[in-house]
Amino acid sequence: MALRELSSLEKYLGLKKPNKYSTQGDKKVPVLQNNNGPPLVGLVTVACHLVKQAKRPELLGDSAESRAVVQQWLEYRVSKLDGYAKEDVKTILKDLNLYLQDKVFLAGNQFTIADTFMYSGIHPMIVDLAIQEKEQYVNVTRWFDHIQHYPGVRHHLPPVAVLRNRIYTSRHH
Amino acid sequence: MRATEEDQQGPSKKALKKQQKEAEKAAKKAEKQAKLAAEQQSTEEDDFAKDRYGVSAMVQSQQKLDRVLVLVQDLTPEKADQRIWLRARVHTSRAKGKQCFLVLRQQQFNVQALVAVGDRASKQMVKFAANITKESIVDVEAVVRKVEQKIESCSQQDVELHIERIFVISQAEPRLPLQLDDAVRPDADGEEEGRATVNQDTKLDNRVIDLRTTTSQAIFRLQSGVCQLFRDTLTNKGFVEIQTPKIISAASEGGANVFTVSYFKTSAYLAQSPQLYKQMCICADFDKVFCVGPVFRAEDSNTHRHLTEFVGLDIEMAFNYHYHEVIDSITDTMVQIFKGLRDNFQTEIQTVNKQFPSEPFKFLEPTLRLEYTEALAMLREAGVEMGDEDDLSTPNEKLLGRLVKEKYDTDFYVLDKYPLAVRPFYTMPDPNNPKYSNSYDMFMRGEEILSGAQRIHDAQLLTERATHHQIDLEKIKSYIDSFRFGAPPHGGGGIGLERVCMLYLGLHNVRQTSMFPRDPKRLTP
Repeated sequence: MALRELSSLEKYLGLKKPNKYSTQGDKKVPVLQNNNGPPLVGLVTVACHLVKQAKRPELLGDSAESRAVVQQWLEYRVSKLDGYAKEDVKTILKDLNLYLQDKVFLAGNQFTIADTFMYSGIHPMIVDLAIQEKEQYVNVTRWFDHIQHYPGVRHHLPPVAVLRNRIYTSRHH
Repeated sequence: MRATEEDQQGPSKKALKKQQKEAEKAAKKAEKQAKLAAEQQSTEEDDFAKDRYGVSAMVQSQQKLDRVLVLVQDLTPEKADQRIWLRARVHTSRAKGKQCFLVLRQQQFNVQALVAVGDRASKQMVKFAANITKESIVDVEAVVRKVEQKIESCSQQDVELHIERIFVISQAEPRLPLQLDDAVRPDADGEEEGRATVNQDTKLDNRVIDLRTTTSQAIFRLQSGVCQLFRDTLTNKGFVEIQTPKIISAASEGGANVFTVSYFKTSAYLAQSPQLYKQMCICADFDKVFCVGPVFRAEDSNTHRHLTEFVGLDIEMAFNYHYHEVIDSITDTMVQIFKGLRDNFQTEIQTVNKQFPSEPFKFLEPTLRLEYTEALAMLREAGVEMGDEDDLSTPNEKLLGRLVKEKYDTDFYVLDKYPLAVRPFYTMPDPNNPKYSNSYDMFMRGEEILSGAQRIHDAQLLTERATHHQIDLEKIKSYIDSFRFGAPPHGGGGIGLERVCMLYLGLHNVRQTSMFPRDPKRLTP
């Protein structure tokens, strides 16, 4: 999964030459053999490297504050979302829903790679949601739908249907 | 060792003391009783009102009284200052010094009544009134009085009764298996206030008591209304009511879910629907028939909407050229029922809503008709993956209901042209696409209430389809034969009465709208 995400990011960044990756350990942590230095290990590390390589630093945040937020969500992605437990789904969605209440993107008003990695990380959860649940976590759904339609992001992941109108009234929750 | 010593020496000091104490106690008790008896005698003697209350002799039809018993619902300010008699149940009683307040209940109506010490009632009478057990039936003579402040807790808010005589006609046992007030409390209220609610099974186990609640009274009055509106509407359309046998020789819709009964030396089935018989009536020139009666399903499904015995409202009619004539006739009947309920049963609907809040039922005129393929498209757009010829699963059915409600703002619609594969053998195939059929379901609040179709009226095609469904032709011979001597094209459908009531009122369990529900786990009461 991580390797497909990295190649998806490469395409998004418009990098011409695809890198060759290997994996390390049981958790299949991605490793990039760098020509002019030691190997890079870990999804987030490699991703940040690719962004710099493509000279798109704004994707890591355009201010000190947003850079910190992006790193925080990338960290959240690899620590909380990878290998999440079924019983955590509700808490994760609830928290994220609250966070996204007043935001278009995770780092505020700008698209960053935190959005792409949170999107792919949360995708398996959203695919399984019933329509009623999607309405319950309406901010997550809105953000998710936005990101999956963001040019070049969705890549290999199947699209998730999202209804534009609410079909359940408050009484159904 | 000590015990034997004691035996020899006679009772010990301790034992003696104990004996003495007990003797004293007994003496005190006797004294108290004597005193009480004396008191009672004396009070009975000087109780000037002793003819005004008491437990009546059992009503064995000894006499014909010229007494008019007024209905609680008729107790309005117009009756103020009149002296009336009435028979009601004691809903609650609360003594407060020289007064006793009673809430007298009759079906879903109740009124506050008062016994106060004065020239009409004695102390003893008030005490007697306060001690009448809940749910006892009493005859009361009282004067109707207007009240200055509305009595919020009663249905008759503008008047109260000043009791002058009170007689118990039937005494209830003091301990009730459930409290009526608990049984009508909305779930949310119970949770918030930490007060008791009664769970469904307890209610059903004590159905007779539970049926006395205002909610149950309203539900079953409305249900009676559904039957009446169904009959009236169809009779006006020229339908004939028929009665069909419930013990039948062959299953009408697949053999798996029928009850088998032993029938002398052979076995028979309990009817899953009057299907075959109403069709035979069509072949016998009855043209338009309907039938109200029990229907049995031996499905071992313990869901909120399945019963093993329910009341089926069945319709079958001959049509001229297109089975949509049938759909129009049925939907119009349903709309008449919805309108009749809306216009004539508002009190009942409000009463049920108090305990089980729901949005008012919405419908369109003419009724919305969607084709199965359209419905699939709507579901797919919402992200549901379904094959073209798959039957609707319950969750998808409900989801479709929400989608339709959102798009068309109706709680009632028809889904037409089901895949042939998921319908019974007697369903007429669609002439344009043999994968589909001339069959339809009707939905209320996203749940199926009616299943119907154009039936095959051609004996040969019917035989073919029955063979395709691997049905023993011998067993349905009489059915197939009825189509050999000229049969008009016809169609129809069957509705579950309990489901209609449940969904109209927006309730969540079909047992709430079945008076004595039968399911795989319940055979009593």
